[in-house]
Amino acid sequence: MRPTKSEDDALVDLVDVILRKGAVIEADVVIAVADIPLVGLKLRAALAGMTTMTEYGIFEEWDEAQRLRHREGVDRRVE
Amino acid sequence: MSESPADFETGRYLYCVALDDEGTSLSTTGLDDEPVRVVREAGLVAVVHDCTSLYDSDSATQIQRWILTHQSVVDDAGEAFGTPLPFQFDTIVRGDDEALRSWLSDEAETLTDHLDALAGRWEYRIEIVWDEAAAREELEEADDELRDLAERREEASEGTQFLLNKQYESRLDQLVSEQRRAEAADLADRLSGEVTDLVDLGERSTVGLDIGGADEDVDVLARFSVLATDDEQEAVGLLLDDVAADPGIEVRFTGPWPPYTFTPELGGGDAPDEV
Repeated sequence: MRPTKSEDDALVDLVDVILRKGAVIEADVVIAVADIPLVGLKLRAALAGMTTMTEYGIFEEWDEAQRLRHREGVDRRVE
Repeated sequence: MSESPADFETGRYLYCVALDDEGTSLSTTGLDDEPVRVVREAGLVAVVHDCTSLYDSDSATQIQRWILTHQSVVDDAGEAFGTPLPFQFDTIVRGDDEALRSWLSDEAETLTDHLDALAGRWEYRIEIVWDEAAAREELEEADDELRDLAERREEASEGTQFLLNKQYESRLDQLVSEQRRAEAADLADRLSGEVTDLVDLGERSTVGLDIGGADEDVDVLARFSVLATDDEQEAVGLLLDDVAADPGIEVRFTGPWPPYTFTPELGGGDAPDEV
């Protein structure tokens, strides 16, 4: 059997890895580091609302950390 | 100066890094039709587009489009430069090309080592779906304890019947789950022998996006991600032919994909805990 490669395959097989895996850089030059996911807030909210991911609690901790940071960021800009 | 993650004026959205192949160029468009280009340093190319903000949306359709584009850019890069080190969605290097080059240069050894190890290898996904209902039936007929419980249930009073039924179902669930695990482990063993690397993804799909046409009600026996050369991929194909010969088994075999599952964490050493 030969492997197939369609857009549907990509969506089914790769959504999770493109969003959560792939190489992760932990360095100051990068927008987000280690414990903070690199995806945007609304995007993560959209994902977190979806059952399979929240069942595993994948996003909960990240969410909190990210929200905290985001708030701090907003505060700083306001000052 | 400490900046919040979303706070930057110049950035480079990073799709992937690959080993440079002098004279090779890449012409493609990225997220939101941004022109994609390569930044070269230390024998490496970083595939990027210029950006000033994170990509963020609560629309599943938008996210889906971005992900497909991200993936297709990494694919194009892979075709041009060989197996790339694909980055997670929304990986943005703060600063201009100079900042990116200095990061590439700092990380050159690590990046090159990883790319050398991945060279000529791609990721493939394997999903095995089985007929769980049929497996249940077979177990119901074959297991002495279940048959005994069924007999006692027949003759029992209503209250006892309820309890026996619970026992029956729980025994059956346990047997099915044991069988699934044993078959998955056996498959993992056989596949491991054919490939460079294998990751067991568990039986649950982790797809978080509501994408149309996903068949929700299939019973997944096992899901694997494997890293394989072309020859290894052919061997896997043959093995899967054998697996799929069982009429109760369906196999999905997809790829080649960039080696998302087999990428390292770069820099920083130990993962820091909460701030």
